[in-house]
Amino acid sequence: MLIDANHLHLNLQGQTILEDVSLHLAAGEIYGLLGPNGAGKSTTIALLLGLYQADRGDLKLFDTEPRDNVALHRRIGVMPEHAGFYEWMSANDYLVWYAGLYGGLLQPVDSLLQQVGLEATGHKPISQFSRGMKQRLGLARALVHGPELLILDEPTNGLDPRGRREIHDLLLSLADERRVGILLCTHLLDDVERLCSRIGILDRGRNVAEGSLPELLGANRSGRRYRLRIRGVPDNQQLPPDLKLLRRDGDWWHVEISPTMAADPSRVWEDLLVHGWQYTEIHAESGGLETLYLQLTGAATDKQEEAA
Amino acid sequence: MKPSSLIAQKERGALLQNQRGLAWLLAYSGILSAFALLLISNKELSLLDNAQIVYMMAGTVTAAGALIAVIMGADAFAGERERGTLVPLLTAPVSPAQLLMGKALGLVSAWLLMYLLALPYLWAVGAGGQNLLQAIFYLALFGTPVVLGFGYLAMALSARSGSVLSSMLTSLIVLLFSASPLLIGPGLRNSVIGKAIDAVNPFSGALNTFDSVIIDSAPFSGQLARLALVLIWLSITFLAARVTARHPNFR
Repeated sequence: MLIDANHLHLNLQGQTILEDVSLHLAAGEIYGLLGPNGAGKSTTIALLLGLYQADRGDLKLFDTEPRDNVALHRRIGVMPEHAGFYEWMSANDYLVWYAGLYGGLLQPVDSLLQQVGLEATGHKPISQFSRGMKQRLGLARALVHGPELLILDEPTNGLDPRGRREIHDLLLSLADERRVGILLCTHLLDDVERLCSRIGILDRGRNVAEGSLPELLGANRSGRRYRLRIRGVPDNQQLPPDLKLLRRDGDWWHVEISPTMAADPSRVWEDLLVHGWQYTEIHAESGGLETLYLQLTGAATDKQEEAA
Repeated sequence: MKPSSLIAQKERGALLQNQRGLAWLLAYSGILSAFALLLISNKELSLLDNAQIVYMMAGTVTAAGALIAVIMGADAFAGERERGTLVPLLTAPVSPAQLLMGKALGLVSAWLLMYLLALPYLWAVGAGGQNLLQAIFYLALFGTPVVLGFGYLAMALSARSGSVLSSMLTSLIVLLFSASPLLIGPGLRNSVIGKAIDAVNPFSGALNTFDSVIIDSAPFSGQLARLALVLIWLSITFLAARVTARHPNFR
């Protein structure tokens, strides 16, 4: 197991930042860590990298504790969310310099730059790089020493669709061919759906879900949506709280069953029968990762953040 | 190459290849040029004798060096954090001691460069006088620990504080406080409090030595207590930097 984190708790300045967080990552696996802003994703990464010490819980990377463990850094490649560089250097010079901290480059710098799509830009000063190019350079920096574990925080931010696809392919090949374990922290659910074999969702410092995508969607039946048409509802009739009116079409009322009832809609059918309302055209659909994510992390939280 | 040597190499690059580093060196040279011009014009008017001018120039080099060292020290960790380059350093196989050593060596290189830049100015104001060589020697012996000490103090604060600005301002306040006995004039300086501050103040220690050896031609043996003072200052500040740099503030 590359990462074996169990029941981690972390308090910073009297505030609980992480509470009972667990995370496990094996070689060759890509794990997607999701959560709204402030959920504790970056703090979890900092804890994994030994930059913080957990107050409680058990944390091992490659079967050793990460805190003050400099030797462990040789096995891990890190791409922080806000990746900076010494901008007066060229990309070539920077990578050669950074690789020197690990004892030198494992492959020619040109081939490394080519791997992340930065060929022919190696001699340019980093100050002239676009945001997307810096993201690619950040990934090259994380790969400079051939790590067994990659920890990537928002690696495809600022990349165009083609760039994102190239990075996806690179990460998939690293996991498949070199058995690199990848912890991917992102807000881009498409990235997670495409790349990750396992997913963990954090909300307010707590694990709210963990598993493969089919497992999570299967376990969370409330992610399903039911739409139906009902008839026979008197004009001045208030609908039960479990039903939301979408539109009216003559006698037919198009309604949706509330997400809280969607896991077990049988009570809704009983309600409809009790009222003597006729129902038809039931349309059920699986909510997908986005619906699941919004339900588990609370759309209200996101709305508050957007307003702020 | 060792990680600490690589980091020191990068620090030298930041000073000599980066526009900001070159701007600070230019500012340092500007201060020395302006001061040298002022002293030479006073010398020509016979308002100051040669030894006094050399003493003042040595003091200016120490003060300007300490100022640049504070700026560099404040940038050492907080600047890396603000630029997003601290986490890649902390997650590389570099121990905190190696990281600090690299930064410290970078500061030594910067001071060496500033010292070399100061030599033509000292020669320009002091050529022809008998104590120019003493000034050059004692500037190295006493100026080095004072300047580096202020840089390490700023590094210690930089590793803990939230920003370059806050660590720089705090270090500058300490520097200003250290220089205060010289600013308040001889009357207050001879008071009990003035004497007490003078006795433990590394900046005063260096300047009082410059005064003794350059103006009064005092022997080296009379400077041992002050040498101990500036070396203790250097040791304490480096130790403080080692303690805070063990787990620097990275967010």
